[in-house]
Amino acid sequence: MNHLERLAATIKFKKTDRPPVAGPVFGHAAHLSGLPLHKYLQSGRLLAEAQIRAYKHYGYDITFAFFDVNVETEAMGAVLHFRDHDYPYIKQEALSPDTDFSGLVLPDFSHAGRIPELLEGVRLLRAEFADSLPVAGLVLGPFNLACQLIGMENTLYLAVDNPEAFTGLLDFATEFCIAYGIAQIKAGVHLPIVFDVSASPEIIPVAFFREFELPRLRSVFKRFKAAGAIAGWLFMTGDIKPILHYFPRIGVDIANFDYCVPPDAVKQSLTYTCVNGNIKPLLFEYGTPEDIDRAARELLTEFSRRKGFILSAGCEIPLRARPDTIQALVNAAFESC
Amino acid sequence: MNGLMKWVKDGNKEQAVTEVKRLMDRGETAEHIITQYIEPAMDSLSNKCTAENFNLLEVMLSGRAVMSVMQTLFPPGTEPAPTKGLVVIATLEGDVHDIGKNILKTILTINGYHVIDCGKDCPIEQLIDTVKKEKPFAIGVSGLISSVVPLVKKIKPLLQENKLPNIKVCAGGAALKQASKELLNVDFLAENAFAGQSYLDAVWTREQT
Repeated sequence: MNHLERLAATIKFKKTDRPPVAGPVFGHAAHLSGLPLHKYLQSGRLLAEAQIRAYKHYGYDITFAFFDVNVETEAMGAVLHFRDHDYPYIKQEALSPDTDFSGLVLPDFSHAGRIPELLEGVRLLRAEFADSLPVAGLVLGPFNLACQLIGMENTLYLAVDNPEAFTGLLDFATEFCIAYGIAQIKAGVHLPIVFDVSASPEIIPVAFFREFELPRLRSVFKRFKAAGAIAGWLFMTGDIKPILHYFPRIGVDIANFDYCVPPDAVKQSLTYTCVNGNIKPLLFEYGTPEDIDRAARELLTEFSRRKGFILSAGCEIPLRARPDTIQALVNAAFESC
Repeated sequence: MNGLMKWVKDGNKEQAVTEVKRLMDRGETAEHIITQYIEPAMDSLSNKCTAENFNLLEVMLSGRAVMSVMQTLFPPGTEPAPTKGLVVIATLEGDVHDIGKNILKTILTINGYHVIDCGKDCPIEQLIDTVKKEKPFAIGVSGLISSVVPLVKKIKPLLQENKLPNIKVCAGGAALKQASKELLNVDFLAENAFAGQSYLDAVWTREQT
């Protein structure tokens, strides 16, 4: 069974030779390769080389073609500040709450910011791994992208003060999300993960999620699958218990769950949805391999009868994680047959 | 729940301001409005915002409504002096996510604390210099990314080094919450801004007795 076959079987709750394991390793790949982060984040070639090296080092089941959460907003004109050891931050937002969102047009992805580089990284990774290792892309979900475009506080206030304008912003963000995800699929990803951490119930009320985000996410996943994505993968963090039960009707086939969501809650709400999680990311930096091994084995035992489980951290593995902790995560999956 | 309390809790700033103007026209004093309406509304929100039920949008909207009410009660230049101690807050260098810190600032200010905000991406030297100059009874730091953990760990030793060992350090935020207070070397690790305020209330009360 190769990595892609293992993932595909896991999504369908079928028998596998062992449970799949995903980092998820994003910028840590640069750290592992000794690359300054800002160089990795601006070069598709460096991203692909570092991700290939990280895969060869750890042997996990999924590789990720992802720079950072500011790629989309940069493509819309945001000014970023790049740093050697951390992800870039937004110096100047792309849009403001006063923007006429109905007049916005999608950028040309062949020229917009770092998107061409990211798509080149996807092509190189797919050329390397073909259909042996899943190559996952990543796009921001509509609400998350809205927050990146005008700032989170502005987005939240806009939703309340000017619902019409907010809807316009969200519609544009949805359009962007779909187009960018499809561009990633065309470039070679097996699926674009939808990263929507800002839509967590810790940020917006459940009714808000149900009213505004749920229908848009549903159309995003529908379009991705129509374009060839092998599954719909939703990545949210924080305490998402109150919205888990919505996921099947959104078209989610894989749902990330964070350390603060107990496995029982996930099993109860998502009977037939594959899940990935949920070791504390910080444990990979400040814990020991023994800590990770213990947490991983508990999770594997927890999900052994249910199946439909991908062992991973609850969110991105920190940039400066200890490699031996990531190896402990992978080893736990390899030893669990 | 009476009108003003409801509008504040619902985060409806326009209705809250309209209601406070009506109360003022009726002759109610600012002190009475704060103690009878605003503080109970914030207490009610605080009780609702447990670890299981915290919602940023609701807290932001209520905070904004309260600030609008306060500006109506106290036009520029007439703001009342803080009734509680001084707290210095910051989001440390490398981290530019400051919503959590801003919410803490709003909640502490509403509750009578004097807050000095060192901003986001704040070098630890700047934080310590501010603390040396202003002598707060507590420091609040918020962190959304794990790269600030080593900086948070340094705060207590730097306070010791500067002969300020009694200043309490309270930490919070998505990344820091994953750690323990022992790992971070802080006095309190807050689940959310209200838990941070409760801790500071307890410390402040203890220091006054």
